[in-house]
Amino acid sequence: MRFAFRRAGFFLLTLWIALTINFLLPRLMPGNPALAMVSKFHGQLNPQALHALEILFGINTQTSLWQQYVTYLHNVFTGNFGTSMSFYPASVRSVIGGAIWWTVGLVGVATVLAFVLGTGLGIVSAWRRGGQLDSVVPPVFVIASAVPYFWVAMVLVLIFGISLHWLPYIGGYNVSSDTPSLSPSYFGDVLSHALLPAAALLITTIGTWILTMRNAMITTLAEDYVRMARAKGLPGRRIMLDYAARNAILPNLTGFAMSLGFVVSGAILIEYVFNYPGVGYMLLQAVSGEDYPLMQALFLLITVAVLVAILIADIATALLDPRTRTAG
Amino acid sequence: MRRLRTTGVLLAAGLLAAACSSSSGSGSSSGGGSNSSAASTVTISNEAGQLWSCGFSPYNGSTNFLSTGFVYEPLVFVNPLQNGKTTPMLATAWTWGAGNKTLTFTIRKGVKFNNGTAMTPADVVFTFNMLKKFPALDLPGDWAVLSSVKQTGSDQVTMTFKAPAVPYFYYIAGQTPIVPAAIWSKIANPVTYNDPHPVGTGPFMVNPCTGQNITYTANPHFWQPGLPHIKKVQYPAFTSNNTANDQLANGQAQWGSQYIPNIKAFYTSKSPDNHYWFPPTVNVSLVPNLTNPLLANVKVRQAMSMAIDRAKVSSIGESGYEPPANQAGIVTPTFSSWLDSSLTSKYNFSFNPAKAKAVLASAGFHPGSDGIMVNSKGQKLAFTVINVGDYSDWVASMQVIQQNLKAIGIQLTPNNLAAPSFNAALYSGKYQLAYYDQQSFGPGPYYELRNWLDSHNTAPIGKTAVSNYERYINPAVDKLLVTYAGTTSTAEQHSIVRQLEQVMLTQLPVIPVVEAVDWYQYNTGKISGWPTPSNPYAQPAAYAYPDMEQVLLHLQPK
Repeated sequence: MRFAFRRAGFFLLTLWIALTINFLLPRLMPGNPALAMVSKFHGQLNPQALHALEILFGINTQTSLWQQYVTYLHNVFTGNFGTSMSFYPASVRSVIGGAIWWTVGLVGVATVLAFVLGTGLGIVSAWRRGGQLDSVVPPVFVIASAVPYFWVAMVLVLIFGISLHWLPYIGGYNVSSDTPSLSPSYFGDVLSHALLPAAALLITTIGTWILTMRNAMITTLAEDYVRMARAKGLPGRRIMLDYAARNAILPNLTGFAMSLGFVVSGAILIEYVFNYPGVGYMLLQAVSGEDYPLMQALFLLITVAVLVAILIADIATALLDPRTRTAG
Repeated sequence: MRRLRTTGVLLAAGLLAAACSSSSGSGSSSGGGSNSSAASTVTISNEAGQLWSCGFSPYNGSTNFLSTGFVYEPLVFVNPLQNGKTTPMLATAWTWGAGNKTLTFTIRKGVKFNNGTAMTPADVVFTFNMLKKFPALDLPGDWAVLSSVKQTGSDQVTMTFKAPAVPYFYYIAGQTPIVPAAIWSKIANPVTYNDPHPVGTGPFMVNPCTGQNITYTANPHFWQPGLPHIKKVQYPAFTSNNTANDQLANGQAQWGSQYIPNIKAFYTSKSPDNHYWFPPTVNVSLVPNLTNPLLANVKVRQAMSMAIDRAKVSSIGESGYEPPANQAGIVTPTFSSWLDSSLTSKYNFSFNPAKAKAVLASAGFHPGSDGIMVNSKGQKLAFTVINVGDYSDWVASMQVIQQNLKAIGIQLTPNNLAAPSFNAALYSGKYQLAYYDQQSFGPGPYYELRNWLDSHNTAPIGKTAVSNYERYINPAVDKLLVTYAGTTSTAEQHSIVRQLEQVMLTQLPVIPVVEAVDWYQYNTGKISGWPTPSNPYAQPAAYAYPDMEQVLLHLQPK
């Protein structure tokens, strides 16, 4: 119980620090959103419009930094993230809401798949150490994870999209023949558009899971209790899954939780290459458009997601492994 | 082990089944071949860099290019590519009053909004007064020169000016879309109004909009009978240039407004129906900060202008897409009729490094031990030049300029900045040299020259200069600009522009290098009526408003 309180307390402290940094960072950037918007106009703008834009964005209003900080904290806890400047006058909540589900869907599913498949392959590789699977799979995927993922994405586009025409490679769904609805054809369309981006993410992230799981398993397999289980005559598969893997997976859990937290940051370059709607590229555009409210909300989303994920991972580890509960 | 394997196989099989069934159901989703629906649909390829927010307010900077022209119309269409040729839209006629201090429009009768209600002069009056009441909406900048807008007859609206401002006709008549008073008067704060279902007099309506695509369908109440011939327009959202260019190359989009590197290999070679045209609009110039003591010396600027090989910058930096500019600041061929060739031959700034060195020598500079020109006081001609790092073609152009100037002993150190830092430095004057173009374009060289030369558009170092970034202040030039604004006589306008050219050629406030262009690609396979160099009836880029309305009204299926 004391453990849970300490973890919760630490979580709140980290959250407060993150919120404060999140508040200060955008304000340290040069320029202002009115100037950023002028350059997006492709030459249609009367120079006097700069004044109109400055009024719009409240550039010259004078409220003290402390006042802004208090308002900011209040807004965060009431869920009011303000109005986006680059998507003016849409609210930040609606802007993020439109894109976040695509990101969570694509990157979330790809991350879970990578973890499940990678861990599975790692377990088997370690169990049959030196065998055929072990000699081929970990090296291949470790090399794949060293390759930049946007390059993998572009190669996939070239092969499967442009040369073979097997899979679509632009957007989240086919905009000219489908509108979002609950029909199976729309879901099928979404799924087919998600295959190539998910494949790119999978290929480049699975290597880490395979390697860490394999190495943790090898250490665990050297433990005395595994030798005892083998001596007692338990079937190999049962030892591998119920005893060795269960203990070896614990370090990976924290890593998995953190990568789940980072899912909400999106995958900027995947979105760029595939024109996939998501929050990763949105964050980049918010930064170059000096869109403070959108930037802050996205940073906040990422920070809170990762912090919550770590908290859950800590609690899960504590529940699963009694050894972590007693010390301190 | 067996359990894992079977689950894995089932998973893979399931995914494959879903993928196969969907790709057979959704038709040509993987590209290759044109859109399978009727030929009266046009798909636009214009990368806006973000998803659509599905707001369509015509007075909101981030969304007006999606509704002005498609859904909303101005009073008159003014064509910048034909020296301001006018086409009556919601106004059928207009006259300037005495001393050009009033402008009276006759409003067209029988026009309906797309919800079936009638458009009346009251809507025109309401629109202008809404901009007065909410300055944050006044993007056209009308109220900088207007003092009142009133209905003065059953179908007439009169505008009164604070002082004559004839060139503002372009913004007032051509860039102020008319909104329905019945809807907008009920909105408490139109500044934050999202306008998700825009009601206007234009040829199209939004139906529907999602974050990834906007579909426009023809307005059944449109006032021009039989138009538009195009029944549907698709406007997908692109976050990156590559995917937008892909849509053009594989034929899924017919109307492009993209910068395409190596356009012949990537686009025109794919089909004989693929064409492109890049009409020049404004000058991309080397902008000196005139408060810098060395750059304030006109001879230094003259030497720079003579030393830059503009043809090489155009071919190497811009792949030949953007033609070389001239020191007179007149964009050709768009405004060739304004260029005084006797002046350009008298003040010759064509590429001549030897002459440039001679000019520097006459200004008291000699090559130092490091090859950089230095004067007797020990001041070196070494400057930093800020550039927008995102624009790879400008970065390449700057490299050519850097080499050109090195050859005559002037050292340039490029500083390629991200857009926010660049804007902050340029507008506040915290730079030595910059490479930029004016952000607004009008139906004559006056508009760009005024932006560069009008001292009202500048500000002291540290404050924001709206367009006169180089801090050029000359009361005589201000007087010329005011005189131009007060006249409707083309002869007088040409005479004043000639004097402005003289200022550009003798005082060199900025050094134009190449001419920026509108990006425009079009596919003539199933649709005809596109603007071409021989028929430039409107600015052809899909992002040019309200010109895209004219393009869409001219297009028809073959």
